Amino acid sequence: MRAQTLDAFQVIADPGRRQMLMMLSKNSMTINSIAENFDMSRPAVSKHIKIMYNAGFISITDIGRERHCVLKQDGFNELQDFINYFDKFWINKLSKLQSILNNKSKQ
Amino acid sequence: MQQDIKQTWFFQQSPGEVWEYLTKPELIEQWLMKTDFQPVAGHKFRFTFNAKPGTAYEGVVHCEVLEVKPFTKLSYSWKGGTQDKSRTFDSKVVWTLVPKNNGTELQLQHNGFTLLEDVLAHTSGWTSLGKKLQDLVISIQK
Repeated sequence: MRAQTLDAFQVIADPGRRQMLMMLSKNSMTINSIAENFDMSRPAVSKHIKIMYNAGFISITDIGRERHCVLKQDGFNELQDFINYFDKFWINKLSKLQSILNNKSKQ
Repeated sequence: MQQDIKQTWFFQQSPGEVWEYLTKPELIEQWLMKTDFQPVAGHKFRFTFNAKPGTAYEGVVHCEVLEVKPFTKLSYSWKGGTQDKSRTFDSKVVWTLVPKNNGTELQLQHNGFTLLEDVLAHTSGWTSLGKKLQDLVISIQK
């Protein structure tokens, strides 16, 4: 099944994928054990896994016949980068607003 | 891990005056960006800036007004991305104005990012999980 490459925000926009990430944050899991928790076909689960893998949210290791999924930091770092970027952005802009308003009140 | 952006700023001006700087394009321009904003729910608008060469982000943010409560609350969606489109964001900005001490407390929440909250709240343990798997793999290889 085709799995698109989505960016970090698109990855976590899907409730099912968020739930999978939540489950994986508690423990590493095989694709089969993840699938047992969802009311969707095994290929559909695999597709979500592939999407999260492509975006750096999980890594997959084959152990015997099972595929083990583990959270990976890259995808989360990408999200954090955005948040940090905008945090600084607003501090910058709002100090500008504050100085404009302060100057105005002095006039 | 930080989950969303929350900032609180105090201004000596009244909520009415601060509100003007949040809602009048010619005033918004002075501190934020050029915009065709209108304080009407459902209005689609843009913030634009000159993206310097070499900056990752494209010079436009696409927005839609979500909520307007004069002098009290304003929110809009906030969408954009990098110039090469490799990273995009779909978020939400909420301004709340609270009269306080003869001035205004301006609260900013930038969070569409909200989607992350449950995920990020639970992800502190991945390093140990990675280690666990590594141990598992090593034990199997033995």
